[in-house]
Amino acid sequence: MNDPKEALYYIDGVDVPETPPARDLDQEPWGETTVVGKPLPRVDGYERVSGTAVYPADMSLPRMLYGAILRCPHPNAVVRSVDTSAAAAMSGVHVVMSGFTPSSRALQAHRQLIESNLFNPHCRHEGETVAAVAADNPYRAQDALRAITVEYDVLPFVADERRALEPDAPQVREGGNQVSDTQQYQRGDIEQGFVEADVVLEEDYRCECEIHTPMELHGCVAQWDGDSLTLWESTQGVYNVQAQAAAALGVPLSKVRVVNRYMGGGFGSKLAAGKYTVIAALLAKEAARPVKLVLTREETLLAVGNRPPSNMHLKVGVKRDGTLTAIQFTGTGTGGSQQAGGTSLLDWIVRDLYVCPNVRTETTDIYINAGPARPFRAPGHPQCSWALEQMMDALAQAIDMDPVELRLRNIPTVSQGRNNIPYTTTGLRACLEEGARSFEWQQTKDAITTESDSHIRRGIGVASGLWVAGGGGPPSTAIVKIYADGSVNLNMGASDIGTGTKTVMAMVVAEELAIAPGDVQIEWADTGSTQYATGSGGSKTVPTESPAVRAAAIDVKAQLLELAAGEMEVDASLLSLADGKVVAGGDSPKEVEISALRSLRRRGSVTGIGYRGPNPSGKAVNPFVAQFCEVEVNTRTGEVNILRFLGAHDSGRVLNLLTYRNQVFGGITMGIGYGMTEQRVLDVDQTGKMANKNWHDYKLPTALDVPADMTCLPIDLNDTEANTTGAKGIGEPATIPTAPAVANAIYNATGVRVTGTPIDPTKLVSALAAARGED
Amino acid sequence: MIPEFNYVRAQSLTEAQQQLSTDGARVCAGGSDLLGCLRDEVFDCSKVVSVTGLDELRGITRSRDGGVNIGALTTIAELAANSTVQELYPGLAQAAAEVASPQLRNQGTIGGNICQKPRCWYYRGEFECLRKGGDTCYAMAGENQYHCILGGYRCYIVHPSDTAPALLALNASVQIAGPRGERVVPIEDFHVAPRDDVQRETVLEDNEIVVAISIPQPASGLRSSYRKVRARGSWDFALAGVALALAFDADRVTGGRVVLSGAAPIPWRSREVENTIIGQRIDATLAREAADAAMSEAAALKNNGYKIPLFKGVIEEQLLAIASA
Ligand SMILES: Cc1cc2nc3c(=O)[nH]c(=O)nc-3n(C[C@H](O)[C@H](O)[C@H](O)COP(=O)(O)OP(=O)(O)OC[C@H]3O[C@@H](n4cnc5c(N)ncnc54)[C@H](O)[C@@H]3O)c2cc1C
Ligand code: SF4
Repeated sequence: MNDPKEALYYIDGVDVPETPPARDLDQEPWGETTVVGKPLPRVDGYERVSGTAVYPADMSLPRMLYGAILRCPHPNAVVRSVDTSAAAAMSGVHVVMSGFTPSSRALQAHRQLIESNLFNPHCRHEGETVAAVAADNPYRAQDALRAITVEYDVLPFVADERRALEPDAPQVREGGNQVSDTQQYQRGDIEQGFVEADVVLEEDYRCECEIHTPMELHGCVAQWDGDSLTLWESTQGVYNVQAQAAAALGVPLSKVRVVNRYMGGGFGSKLAAGKYTVIAALLAKEAARPVKLVLTREETLLAVGNRPPSNMHLKVGVKRDGTLTAIQFTGTGTGGSQQAGGTSLLDWIVRDLYVCPNVRTETTDIYINAGPARPFRAPGHPQCSWALEQMMDALAQAIDMDPVELRLRNIPTVSQGRNNIPYTTTGLRACLEEGARSFEWQQTKDAITTESDSHIRRGIGVASGLWVAGGGGPPSTAIVKIYADGSVNLNMGASDIGTGTKTVMAMVVAEELAIAPGDVQIEWADTGSTQYATGSGGSKTVPTESPAVRAAAIDVKAQLLELAAGEMEVDASLLSLADGKVVAGGDSPKEVEISALRSLRRRGSVTGIGYRGPNPSGKAVNPFVAQFCEVEVNTRTGEVNILRFLGAHDSGRVLNLLTYRNQVFGGITMGIGYGMTEQRVLDVDQTGKMANKNWHDYKLPTALDVPADMTCLPIDLNDTEANTTGAKGIGEPATIPTAPAVANAIYNATGVRVTGTPIDPTKLVSALAAARGED
Repeated sequence: MIPEFNYVRAQSLTEAQQQLSTDGARVCAGGSDLLGCLRDEVFDCSKVVSVTGLDELRGITRSRDGGVNIGALTTIAELAANSTVQELYPGLAQAAAEVASPQLRNQGTIGGNICQKPRCWYYRGEFECLRKGGDTCYAMAGENQYHCILGGYRCYIVHPSDTAPALLALNASVQIAGPRGERVVPIEDFHVAPRDDVQRETVLEDNEIVVAISIPQPASGLRSSYRKVRARGSWDFALAGVALALAFDADRVTGGRVVLSGAAPIPWRSREVENTIIGQRIDATLAREAADAAMSEAAALKNNGYKIPLFKGVIEEQLLAIASA
């Protein structure tokens, strides 16, 4: 896998059409900007905060029914029979279906979505779908589920990937519990590399399974009009859902319209249609009424995605001068009972982040009887970062070098994981240097070492990272329309998954057309009426969509100015837009209100089309990051108080400073959850069921777990080679190195290294006691 | 989703008791625990009897003996913010402030807090465990990282309340109204250990209602505190906690109680610590000795061994802190 794009989750399985050539218009990089780059609030902030924004779960249609899904309570069981007669006889219950219902079987198999059946008779994880109902209110739907009797043959299970390859482990699937051959990567001569090292360290690391818990639950509303289906789905990509739902239902794309205006988070778990999508469509078809199907929190914790747990071993050699000589990495993971990328991108950071001529990696994906993984904010990267960044810290100490300095000694200018093609830009050095300066790394370090020996200890930590993607790319089409009065409409297919995409795109339009972002009407995320876009994932929405939107704005501007040139009898090249006017510079200044252009009024509107052009060939476009934090540790109790955080990020040009900061703070918050509180707990020794499938036992970080003192330091490198807006992605890099930065700070404070997530008192207090020689 | 139930809002204590005498009826105060149990189908409940209309069960008053009387419907937030409580029993105010989250403290009552059901995730989940009438304790050999290290017997829950340990340290008693009139039970005898009955958490009969909690006048030189260690900053139960109510004469401990939370199926009085410190001046050596003594009988399960150093650490820290307060 020399080009990791091959395996990138957000384009995997989605056909990528050729981009039509761009119109031959000037798309020079911006110099000074007037709107772009400002910290502007959301264009839809009022709607979101006031509650007028309609999310799929808020939808209500005339005669709408409520769907609900019965799920298998066992980690491994075969459904013998499903008795739905009592449920079907209940008043208000319109449809009951199971794997024995003919309509549910008439589906096309669709990759991971539906392995062979919508209701698979062999349930290989707790929460697998067994039956579904539609009733006239949600309570009756739940009562109907309770009235269904299922006979299961309960089978032995394995719920821990660390045991699943043992010879006597129950088989999740025929052919054994290893998903495919171990993936290997090698460059240089690893043995020679270890020989050249002055210090070689080895360590085991583990990251627990983390679950996407977007505030908005997964779900949709399905409505048929004749043979045409409309789905209002909470999704990151309406076109993905359209393709998958159409394939599963065996109907043309033109018969499935997917709409998602507002949505409340996905983090990768909503890039694809769910079984629930297809179930809702079938229930609606059979009932001949619209059906709303929104999962419960328990269902989302069990069945619609997670970041796989990872077990990693690192052996790294370094010279006294900080040169890395060899990195050897072995990792295992599990995507649950399906092929779901249990180790996807797990070793990328090892291959690409630091200069090292000799690298060997091995990853092995394993089946267990648990819910499927789905892409989760930078798949594989936070895990690998947890291991490598703690190892870098340990190496720095072993050679008596500052950990920032060790990283600075190993900054690549080429992508070693891709046969040394150059990066368009790399701000890694600037992230580390400027980040350290702004954090006052050295001063804090000096201050801490002279502190008293109280049981409350302070420490600082650093970790850096990169994200394998983040450059975006084709395809994308955007349309910008200028109406007769000069006001503007933007049409794009991308979702705004809560990150502020609409705001950023409105700013791009505003920049080109010299209007206020709030004056741009936006239509988005609707396969019926907006242009094709790939799903919002991979930190690619801004670098993918903003150039297309800019191109459309430039196109419409050129056409408008041509119209104006005719009426004003001035050469179009002398014209520009300002404040709703067309202005002619030069010797005889003239201006005309856009709304006064007769030709525009006669046409009604002018329409510009923009396509996303190709990425530079032979170059890698990646964002870079370094994060710093300071902690206070109670060495008697293992409590950690994170005092402050700084994220220094190179994500190219900053298009909106406020939404950029939101991503950095949100990423750090999520990283703190990953490192400090979150973990799926399966009852591995007894029932295989999930013990903490609710929001108090599955511990997301709260406001009190996150420091009030957070700083976002953009390294604002305009990446003019990457695309025409100069932006790279920020969403995923923001969460990659957070957890190991905290782990390193805890080590700095206490001398104790915790190599497993999450570092809560249950782990740290024992490690601290052991370090003191207590048992 | 909550299964169907009937709902009545009682207008008097007598009516509440009458309503409660049908099978499957349950008292509902703030509902913050009860409704969660119903939604998770932890137990059956055919009738929810709300007592929120009983104003006589509200409020904090000074009692004639110089202590306080806390109505069962007093919210946790009111308790935490009450100036008398803060002044006389800072440990109780601190414990109340450590409960759950602001929303839950506004909704939850002190009566409900001491009566709340265990948080064992098997008990709350779809597991027919011993406490729910089944024949297995899943925690014993399962995921028991949050379970007890003291007082476990067939069932290994920890008592979830933060206020009960502080109340026990302060020698509070519970006033209970029942069909045969009122009775007063020292809070020390209010909670039921699994050794005595594995399916019961309190001595309350089905139709009894907690009316109030009273705390005697603080002894002279009484200092109290509550300290809670948890896995996240808010909205989380105690991994380990310690409630202290110690009387000092100058710097010598003359009496009082030490109660652990997160340690045992009931608020756990640590006589080992009390015996080590009473009559003594607390210094670093004694604090350590007391902390070790507290854990002398502790028995860890597979995943909760960390609680032993954790309790030692927090007890040591808190004894030193109260000694220098
Ligand atoms: C997510 C979450 C986190 C929490 N975290 C903590 C925590 O950290 N620390 C902590 O101490 N608590 C915690 N709690 C528990 C919370 O404090 C209690 O739910 C609350 O105090 C109960 O009060 P209530 O009035 O809502 O009780 P209800 O829910 O109304 O009742 C609880 C129980 O007590 C019974 N009951 C209530 N009042 C009376 C009465 N007067 N007489 C007899 N029986 C009665 C009910 O029948 C029921 O069984 C948490 C709860 C939740 C949901
Ligand atoms: S500890 Fe008690 S409540 Fe939990 S599973 Fe065991 S018996 Fe049930």
